[in-house]
Amino acid sequence: MSKAVLVNEKDNVVTAVSDLKKGEDAVYKVGSATGQIKANEDIPYGHKVALTKIAKGSDIIKYGEAIGRARSNIDPGQWVHTHNTDETYAPSR
Amino acid sequence: MKFIGYPRPDGKVGTRNHVGVMATVGCVNEVVLAICHQIKGAVPITHQQGCLTVTSDLAQVQQTLINMGKNPNLAAVLLVSLGCESVFPNEIRDEIAKSRKPVELINMHQLGGSIKTITTGCEIAEQMVLDASEIHRQEFDASELIVGCKCGSSDATSGLSSNLAVGEVADILVQEGATFLFGEVCDIMGSEQILAQRAASKEVGQKVIDAVNRLIDMAESAGADVVGCQLTEGNKKGGITTVAEKAIGATTKAGSTAPQGFVNYGEIPSGKGLWIIPTPGRGFENLTGLAAAGAVVHLFTTGLGAPEGHPIMPVIKLTGNINTWNKLNTHMDVNVSSIIDGVETIEEAGRRLFEELLKVASGKLTKAEVLRYDESMNILTYGPVI
Repeated sequence: MSKAVLVNEKDNVVTAVSDLKKGEDAVYKVGSATGQIKANEDIPYGHKVALTKIAKGSDIIKYGEAIGRARSNIDPGQWVHTHNTDETYAPSR
Repeated sequence: MKFIGYPRPDGKVGTRNHVGVMATVGCVNEVVLAICHQIKGAVPITHQQGCLTVTSDLAQVQQTLINMGKNPNLAAVLLVSLGCESVFPNEIRDEIAKSRKPVELINMHQLGGSIKTITTGCEIAEQMVLDASEIHRQEFDASELIVGCKCGSSDATSGLSSNLAVGEVADILVQEGATFLFGEVCDIMGSEQILAQRAASKEVGQKVIDAVNRLIDMAESAGADVVGCQLTEGNKKGGITTVAEKAIGATTKAGSTAPQGFVNYGEIPSGKGLWIIPTPGRGFENLTGLAAAGAVVHLFTTGLGAPEGHPIMPVIKLTGNINTWNKLNTHMDVNVSSIIDGVETIEEAGRRLFEELLKVASGKLTKAEVLRYDESMNILTYGPVI
């Protein structure tokens, strides 16, 4: 059973599909293979975990698209959410 | 890929063989329901429109009724009019008749009340059903299919499983030469620039952006900040971080191909491939817009369990939430929680969903149809009720 989901191979985050405890390894599928990331803090179901170092100002990528921008440097295994991510969307009116 | 469907005189192919009993105005809904209660094979097309809205809305309602009548899932149409409505029942009849299916119009003021109108309507609908029963399914290529999609009562699983599975089906259908309809302006909001960049032409892309801006403007004129309230506290608690994330997760239903065209609500796409239609998120109006665009099957993703179907279109419910699959199993047709568990890839789940879609297109009933959870519908209007 996977504990996280990688939606697109371009993504730099996975989504937890069980409540992850600090230090817990989350297994996720990459095509027919599997990947693994150690959570370095508690991360709830449905929330995102960084797979790589994401530098401040860089894109958070999910679905193969930029879904936001890092507000601070984010380490692998760190929780990615509203506390460290800025909205990039603005209507084009 | 093949399915067995009903040939129609205009060359289109239906997945159902209903006789549609259509109210031209909400005031005759009771008559329509009574006829359909009596006549097996007759489905009610009721709504709250047809009168006392602004002219542009009346035109949209009339166009929607005409194009729903032309939907190939209907073998014949019986129109029920009150006699004083603001839409034009004769025009609706004449336009539906251009698809060369049988159409009749009855008028409650002329016939003298509901009892006589129900009696007359039942006699007409009975003969229409008998005639329709002699039309038989034939084999057709999947390229004849027009399929719609939406999400409702979404949760964290929607953007991780069911929407992605629908996106796979969208890509398969486009590859097969079929038509796939994607809309829900409120869901596009946040991903419209990505969708526009992908569009087959700049014009189509601009129409997608304009549709989102129109929604934002309309909400503003009603004193609401539709962008600001898009990301709810519940969404954030569930793990969605930005408006873009929510929108892109919903837009995955459209698959990965280029939008070929854009049609307004109530209109029929003129080509194949992925088309964008500015439907609202609410199911009553959303499903009707897709049915009017000619959709003959619908893929509806849900997290917590949205139950609704539609009177003229089989609606396949799929969920990636295993608790919803277990608890609301009498409403759910397809379970894709396997994607989340890592036991099935998105591609595998998409292929399984496509096979189910071909079965439903060929006559397998959906749970919403069996439960008769498919009578509520409405037609989109923008302006005030007068």
